[in-house]
Amino acid sequence: MTGIKTFLMPDRRRFLKTAGAVVTASLAAPYIVRAQEKILYINTWGGPWEIAAKTHLIDPFTKETGIQVKTVSPVSFAKLAQQVKTGTYEFDVTTLGGGELVRANQAGIIEQLKAPYEGGLFENGVASHAFATVLAWRTDKYKEEPKTWADFWNVEKFPGSRSLQRYASRVIPIALLADGVAVKDLYPLDVDRAFKSLNKIKKHVRVWWTAGAQSTQILRDGEVDMIGIWHGRYFEAEKAGAPVGMTWNQGEIERAYWVVAKKTPNLENAKKFVEFATSAKPLAGFSKAADYGALNPASNEFVSADDAKRMPTSPANYKLTFEQDMANFGIDPAELAERFEEWVAS
Amino acid sequence: MGMSLSRLTEKTNIWPWLLLAPLGIYMLVFFVVPLADVAIMSVTDPRVSLANYQKVLTGALYQRVFINTFLTAAFVTLCCLAVGYPLAYLMAHSKPRTAMLILLLVTMSFWTSFLVRTYSWMVLLGNNGPLIAFLQMMGIEQLPQLLFTRFSSTLAMVHILAPYMIMNIFSVMKKIDPALIRSAESLGAKGWSLFRHVYLPLTAPGIANGSVLVFVICLGFYVTPVLLGSPREQMIAGLIGHQIDEFLAFGLGSAMAMVLLFVTLIILTIYHRRFGLDKLWG
Repeated sequence: MTGIKTFLMPDRRRFLKTAGAVVTASLAAPYIVRAQEKILYINTWGGPWEIAAKTHLIDPFTKETGIQVKTVSPVSFAKLAQQVKTGTYEFDVTTLGGGELVRANQAGIIEQLKAPYEGGLFENGVASHAFATVLAWRTDKYKEEPKTWADFWNVEKFPGSRSLQRYASRVIPIALLADGVAVKDLYPLDVDRAFKSLNKIKKHVRVWWTAGAQSTQILRDGEVDMIGIWHGRYFEAEKAGAPVGMTWNQGEIERAYWVVAKKTPNLENAKKFVEFATSAKPLAGFSKAADYGALNPASNEFVSADDAKRMPTSPANYKLTFEQDMANFGIDPAELAERFEEWVAS
Repeated sequence: MGMSLSRLTEKTNIWPWLLLAPLGIYMLVFFVVPLADVAIMSVTDPRVSLANYQKVLTGALYQRVFINTFLTAAFVTLCCLAVGYPLAYLMAHSKPRTAMLILLLVTMSFWTSFLVRTYSWMVLLGNNGPLIAFLQMMGIEQLPQLLFTRFSSTLAMVHILAPYMIMNIFSVMKKIDPALIRSAESLGAKGWSLFRHVYLPLTAPGIANGSVLVFVICLGFYVTPVLLGSPREQMIAGLIGHQIDEFLAFGLGSAMAMVLLFVTLIILTIYHRRFGLDKLWG
């Protein structure tokens, strides 16, 4: 430590040295502060998702445990991996989809967890909520309602522009259903057949959307006539008053899982949060607010019949949908994605 | 200026370096080290090999996207030149008030966030946008789809990058000695000949500067082609982002970034040999 006296009457070299140390310290400050305060950092999707999480998960958690929480957005799978590599943690807890979860667990970038409720653990992720990719359309464009992905592919009967997510592992099962494969025969995926099916719709797909907000915007503004869209994003367009319709039929359900970043200094608090966030009442409130379906069965008693209509996991809707089977996928999602990227760019 | 600086250097050798030190350290910590990290990652992730480079240089997808990136950048540069040159001429040779007004418009567009400009094009070119409404009013039956095409992404990139071209050419045109033009006229040069043999060569440095800036900046464009184009028009930066975000392919993404950096450096070297990089910022 440099004494105050010498700092006040410095020779030049020492002054520069001290100044350098001050600069370094102030640059490193966020990390130092971070290590001392033990604030829990949660990675969120931002927007309405974050508001719902704050109201129903984060604030009640802080109230119950006294643990301070801050949020970081948007969700970044790449950052999760990078954190473990560099040892610099921007967040302790995040959510992942099934495909990502399998990859993350293989790569060893998430902590081992225990099931907080029966059947709640898969590949070290705690199942939280589900969303569905559903078929939606502009009601000002089509008199008759499309019912299946085969109708989505049928451009003679339903002429107009289409949009799908630029995300291989979600599009491939849909392409197979459109080609007439039954849900029970879907997995493991027949990838070659799927690409043949995709070839038929390719030139009608005007937008391969990449962000949730973008999908709402193009449906609401009528940039496309029919779209494969996450159900929550669909309801946003509906709430905005756009002339749109949707069906739960052949909706593709995916689960979202809470995971804890490997070797985070906040491990205990992170585990506490995951347990809290997937417990019955908070999860029910969050799922309702963010337009998801809760995956903890105990949450159902906190969901009204009216709210259940908008959830892919409610019994009436669930029987029309199908679930992605990541354990029996039939191809490495990364390899599939690469083939899909090549296909979509050509 | 050059004189006084060199005299200063002779007197106290250490001072200029001390003044440079903070910037030097900053660049070292926040530019050189991360860049070296990227270079190392490109040959070590997921294992030590040149496989990433092999994939980038021979894979059909990567070749296509690289070629598309360079063609797009070249085309955007040409369009910027075609739009920017006449506008710069107008600015340089009109009354100060008019010139100010044009300059104001160009800089206003320049200082607007390019995300905002990108979204503005979405509104303007969309199916419910004013342009389509105008075409409908004109009674055109087969309405074109403007958004999410090569047209829309190129248009927006030209709009975003044109100010670089305009400023560069304008600053050179402004400095042209009117006496040169008058003497050329007195020697009998007129119209096209005057332009071709006198004016154009005098403005060439501005064209070169503007073109290199636009071309190099365009090579790294990310958001605009992703939001306004289709996957067929995607550029290399978008592909790098996609690889890292979705597949955690840090090695492959790094290799693509290094190839892009390398090619950009080659272009800048050629430019430096021909014109001198020091002139790039006027």
